[in-house]
Amino acid sequence: MAVYLKKRVAKDFRRQVKSWMLTLAMLGLAAIFLIPAWGVLFTSLRTDADIAFNGVWAPSGNVTVDNYLSLIFDVRVHSYMRNSFLVTIPATIISVAMGTLAGYVIAKLRVRGGNLLLLVIVSGLFIPPQILLIPLFQLFNFMGLYNTLWPMIIVHSAYGLSLCTLVMRNFFDKVPDELLEAALMDGASHPRILWSVALPLSRPALGALATLQFTFIWNDFLYPLIFTRSEEAQTIMVGILSLGGQYSTAFGAQAALSVIASLPTLLVFFIFQKQFIKGLTAGAVKG
Amino acid sequence: MSMVAKKRARTLILAGVGLSAVMILGACASGSTETASSHVVAEHYFSGDLGAQAFAEIWPLCEQQTGITMDNPTIDHEAFKDAILVQLAGGNAPDLFSYWAGARTQSLIDNGQLDPIDDMWSAAGLDAAIPASIADSAATYGGSKYLLPFVYHYAGMFFNPAVLEEAGITEIPTDWDGLMSMAETLKAQGITPFALGSTDRWPAQFWFDYLILRTAGPEYRAALMSGEASYDDPEVVAALELWKEAIDAGYFNTSPNGSGWTDAADQVARGEAAMTLMGTWITGYWDGNGLVAGTDYDFFPFPQINSDVALASVGPVDGWVMPSGAKNQAGAKQVLECLASPEAQKVMALLQGAIAANSNTDLSSQNAVMQKAAKQVADSEAFVFNYDLATPPAVAEVGLNMFVEFIDNPSDIAGILSSTATKAAAAF
Amino acid sequence: MTVKSGRWAALFLAVPLGLYFTFVVGPSLYSFYYGFTDWNFLTGEANFTGLDNFRRLFADADFWSAFQNTIIWTALGLVISVFGGFWLAMALSRLLILERFVKSLFFLPMALSLVVVGFIWTWIYRLDFGFANIVLRMLGYEDLATAWLADRNWALFAVIFAWSWQQVALSMIVFLAGLTSVPKELMEAATIDGARFRHQLNQVIIPSLRPATGVVISLALINSLKSFDIVWVMTGGGPFQQSETLAVLIYRQAFRSYEFGYSSTIAVALFVITLVIIGGSILANRRGAE
Repeated sequence: MAVYLKKRVAKDFRRQVKSWMLTLAMLGLAAIFLIPAWGVLFTSLRTDADIAFNGVWAPSGNVTVDNYLSLIFDVRVHSYMRNSFLVTIPATIISVAMGTLAGYVIAKLRVRGGNLLLLVIVSGLFIPPQILLIPLFQLFNFMGLYNTLWPMIIVHSAYGLSLCTLVMRNFFDKVPDELLEAALMDGASHPRILWSVALPLSRPALGALATLQFTFIWNDFLYPLIFTRSEEAQTIMVGILSLGGQYSTAFGAQAALSVIASLPTLLVFFIFQKQFIKGLTAGAVKG
Repeated sequence: MSMVAKKRARTLILAGVGLSAVMILGACASGSTETASSHVVAEHYFSGDLGAQAFAEIWPLCEQQTGITMDNPTIDHEAFKDAILVQLAGGNAPDLFSYWAGARTQSLIDNGQLDPIDDMWSAAGLDAAIPASIADSAATYGGSKYLLPFVYHYAGMFFNPAVLEEAGITEIPTDWDGLMSMAETLKAQGITPFALGSTDRWPAQFWFDYLILRTAGPEYRAALMSGEASYDDPEVVAALELWKEAIDAGYFNTSPNGSGWTDAADQVARGEAAMTLMGTWITGYWDGNGLVAGTDYDFFPFPQINSDVALASVGPVDGWVMPSGAKNQAGAKQVLECLASPEAQKVMALLQGAIAANSNTDLSSQNAVMQKAAKQVADSEAFVFNYDLATPPAVAEVGLNMFVEFIDNPSDIAGILSSTATKAAAAF
Repeated sequence: MTVKSGRWAALFLAVPLGLYFTFVVGPSLYSFYYGFTDWNFLTGEANFTGLDNFRRLFADADFWSAFQNTIIWTALGLVISVFGGFWLAMALSRLLILERFVKSLFFLPMALSLVVVGFIWTWIYRLDFGFANIVLRMLGYEDLATAWLADRNWALFAVIFAWSWQQVALSMIVFLAGLTSVPKELMEAATIDGARFRHQLNQVIIPSLRPATGVVISLALINSLKSFDIVWVMTGGGPFQQSETLAVLIYRQAFRSYEFGYSSTIAVALFVITLVIIGGSILANRRGAE
């Protein structure tokens, strides 16, 4: 009996050690993998003169939070961040909502030509955004929306439809028809079925999609660059570019603003991590 | 649906509505239309801290003078090049915008995008205030004035006096051989003679410009810039041969294409390199990093090569233009008058390390190096724009790429030049 | 579903399709039309030139160079994403301690904007103070240290590598999601007990990851074919167009050479190429599943 217990303890111990070793190994790999990120962090804590004199990676010992302080109190940065939120949140909500509607129709409402419709919508992913710049500019200018937040919200909503429809349609495909038909027979109308039956089931997929869309829209810099020109309307990514002057550089400030600008998406990812993975499984990855 | 879920849904919807309302208000605010003559939108590329500082002084000055409220959208200058074109093409131009004098302005005029400002020019008496050489080259296109010169820069050989002193160099070279032997002395002591940071391509142009100007002269260069001369002419070959001589002798830093102009400037400041051929804005950069004019940096003009050739100075001119589609042209012209004034130009010149176009500007508080540069320009026989402002933008692309390719591998001059000639001809 | 569903379908689709057609399809067709003209976008005139632009395209060395770069990018990006992502996901899914924390460390690159990623890697590749070269020098490979982004042969690969850094994180997440269908006990057993279980594992895992692989491949293909932001920030397509991809060429032709018509022609070509490649990969995936 004692021998058996000893062997058992030894086995458990081996198991513990191996688990710890794996975790430590992966932490080490993560540290290496994130070296670029450390670089930005270090750079953001040094002054531009210091970087000019000692180079980006040389630890000169002079750590300063001046870059962060001046940015946090900079009115322009407040404007940029506010605009980024005002664009990203609505655009995420709208694109996910519309993708849900379209995905549901194609997957469940079996319309004729549903697959063709899907193809048309998904082919939007293949269009290089650069060529849309000028026609969209003219269109928004005609509508009087140039230099406002609307073009970015609208374009991201429209362009995001492709991915959102694809993901939601894949998800709804897997929802058994019987569930929905049962509700139909109980006298529920289609909108009600979507709202009360299909949507609650799709929460993980929605979570994953919303996270991806949020990240993508928040990080965009091409559309804000072209569709806005004043600080009141620009977003944070364009703001990072504007920190550099024609005849000056601002590596420290740009690094600091890059860190600040990445915090919202990092936060979203961290919070929705579990949802995200569950959602990907449910929505896109199986079958 | 459960009570909790219903409540949650209701809050979400209300939030959505509230958010939309806020956005609409925000959109209305930022997209507000300017009332007739009391508001002007002046877009410019003086981004970064220096620019912000400068215009924090200049615009209030102008608002006081003219009673017009200013809106000043600022875009990073690289992005500005593209953004302004989209705005012009899309039909929503600002009332004024900053632009580079020379071929770029010319190409906008050729496409009918700009309106002349002759009336404003005479009203402000600028013929007296702005030197003729600047007025002719930067402001006048096809006989009319289109651009208001604001500030300009001069490209010279900026060096670190301490480095030269330690190397035992006492004389500033006045010809090519002198420059080469100075480089040899420096190299022997382990110092990089010339620092060049051409990763953005444009810093390399000054070498090309001065080599051509000093060997073939301003008239030939003008022909090359306008497409009348070809890139495979013997004059161009000769200039590149000289450049190759310096590169092959190891007088440049390793891999110039891998560094930016500020990296080259930093090398000179640290004493690893002796000099860099750059514009006067480098003084603004160095001042910002705590260097002292005269002690930590100074300059000398690019030496003469061919004694028969006139000594020209190279530099970009930053100016202001008025688009044809501007909503408030009357207001724009008033603002232009303000921007032409010595007070406004002084602010910009001092902060940026530039020379003001208005000769009445009081630049006495500028450091000795800048004053020397201003005098250099005033004394030179010709003032020309640097390469990418002197030739049409599409051709400039070809040329800039050629410089970078040449620096990467100077051995095949003939091959590089013949392909450049073909591409340039196509771009013209 | 009943006949009534047709009406609901129309209602549901009204707003999405309305937005999509107005702001994506419309402008795309408009641009594609200009591919057949010589519009230089600052002047008003656009003369219809028929297939001239396309003829020019086939003879254009810049186009073929960009095409080659795009294909290299796509191939390399695909290989790195799939294998890198798979390996990372396998390793991470076996973690028993602190999994959530370690996983979120690897997610980080995904949250960053390509502008930020471009900046970061530009600093890594610098000749003098770049981390890459510092390490090379430390390891004794002095002569390998170079200004990567200025090297005519290596610039493209340097940018691809930087992009892959982010793309691998995305692939890893997708594979992780796929792996959640494998029972945890099996993964634990493999960690602890080694070779025999690992073999069994592979019999189960690889097949069940087929759909995930499909998604990873599609995402990698789409992102690599359209890659513009990161190239533009890191090299601008340089040195002298050596790292230029088709998307960068499109932008340059429109905004630097002012040839919007020709730029649209290239865009049409890119669209077709993308369709072919993605269509091909979907067909291959479907055939493989049978």
